[in-house]
Amino acid sequence: MQEIQKEALLKTLEELKSKGYRYLKYITAVDAPDHMEVVYLLANIESNVDEVVKVSIKKSESERPSVESVMNLFPAADWYEREISEMFGIKIEGRKTRRLLLEEWNGDGFPLLKSFEWGKEYHKR
Amino acid sequence: MPNMRINIGPIHPSTHGVLRVVAYVNGDTIDSVEPHIGFLHRGVEKLMETRMYMQNPSYTEKLDYVAPMGWDELYVSSVEKATGATVLENAQYARVILLEFQRIASHLLWLGTFANDLGQMFTIFMWAFRERAKVIKFLEDVSGSRMFYVNMRIGGLNGELPEDFKERAYSLLDYLSERIPKYRSLLDNNNFFVSRTKGVGVLSKEDAIAYGASGPVLRASGVEYDVRKSSPYYIYDKLKFNVPRGTHGDAFDRYRVRYDEMLESIKIIKQTLDLMPGGSVAGAKVKLIGQPAKPDPVIISRELPRGEGIIYLVPDKQKPYRIGMRSPAYINLSLLPKLAKGAKFADLFSIIGSLDVVFAEIDR
Repeated sequence: MQEIQKEALLKTLEELKSKGYRYLKYITAVDAPDHMEVVYLLANIESNVDEVVKVSIKKSESERPSVESVMNLFPAADWYEREISEMFGIKIEGRKTRRLLLEEWNGDGFPLLKSFEWGKEYHKR
Repeated sequence: MPNMRINIGPIHPSTHGVLRVVAYVNGDTIDSVEPHIGFLHRGVEKLMETRMYMQNPSYTEKLDYVAPMGWDELYVSSVEKATGATVLENAQYARVILLEFQRIASHLLWLGTFANDLGQMFTIFMWAFRERAKVIKFLEDVSGSRMFYVNMRIGGLNGELPEDFKERAYSLLDYLSERIPKYRSLLDNNNFFVSRTKGVGVLSKEDAIAYGASGPVLRASGVEYDVRKSSPYYIYDKLKFNVPRGTHGDAFDRYRVRYDEMLESIKIIKQTLDLMPGGSVAGAKVKLIGQPAKPDPVIISRELPRGEGIIYLVPDKQKPYRIGMRSPAYINLSLLPKLAKGAKFADLFSIIGSLDVVFAEIDR
């Protein structure tokens, strides 16, 4: 497992891709108590090795966390990036805003954040 | 000719669930399609964070209502890995047998409905459902429930196997290996079926890898990748079986890969039954679960009928802190815009069908 800063994301993934990790299996995120994590799961199909890349992003009061889009390297990232941006409010830099995938509308809360309250009414933005 | 926008669904017999597809067509050639999903979104990942570990299998099972046992086993093994529990030896064999029967049941349901969509009306459908009913009856006798089994426990199953488990499994296998080869003549020699699947929805090998296709869709494009072979779990490394592959990556190859997988599953179950050592298979009572030793994330992956399922579990003491689930049908459906571009409108349903999508799993 590699833990990296978000500035190094594209470079790290590019290096891995040139080493044969061409298959992006999964992207997910974790709302850890003090930071936000985005996890990339890659695989080398020929030699059957998996590699996990974990990006930690500092949380800030004023701004939503953001991470670079990896669509150009791995087209498979498309729906996973849209999913984490809807569920965790993570901004995906370098992608046009598109219609929501899983949710009908995005309120002022993001469901998979720990700060999301059950039963509270969230309103359309 | 001006473009026309056609709306399909959300309720349509050929979308196998609640999928809305908006197609932009030029004549009857598709310019682009946009799949709209999320109609069944119920926030399972969030819900599971609020439940204790062994309350959750009831949720994971409903992810894929065609093959619930796969997700059940996947989730329970992620908890096993987090708590450091070991699986009883005989239970490992029993799990492989049940999972492979579940794969056959899932592929049979797919085959019946897919052929039905494409004009092989009802014969295959009735045959496949008849065989599937027998498989499901067998699974019911083992687990106690017909559709949603919830029969995986930490370290084993929810109870002992029936006394005549082996005899019944063998006789069911005999029945299946006599019946399933008969499907070939109805499909491979059927002009309607062949002309609606051959050369339809072609996915090249390079694209299949780049776009993250999974399971039979990936293998139909000629990639030899199966979790049971690449990182074997339980006893798969002791068994002899092939990984069926396609050459053209079209809808017909996806049918052939799934069809061959059923025959491989029969081979796997036969070998497992022969090797089964005997002994207890009952897992721990729910109250006796240890707590995860470390909060390190657990990643576990399994070859489900629809492709590779992955669970990313960040454990906490009593409940999961975060559980991320990679659904193979989700990523396969995301290929639809690519596959349908330039296809004929009537072939859209052949393409959707060949991806074998289940919406409870896609929308989560």
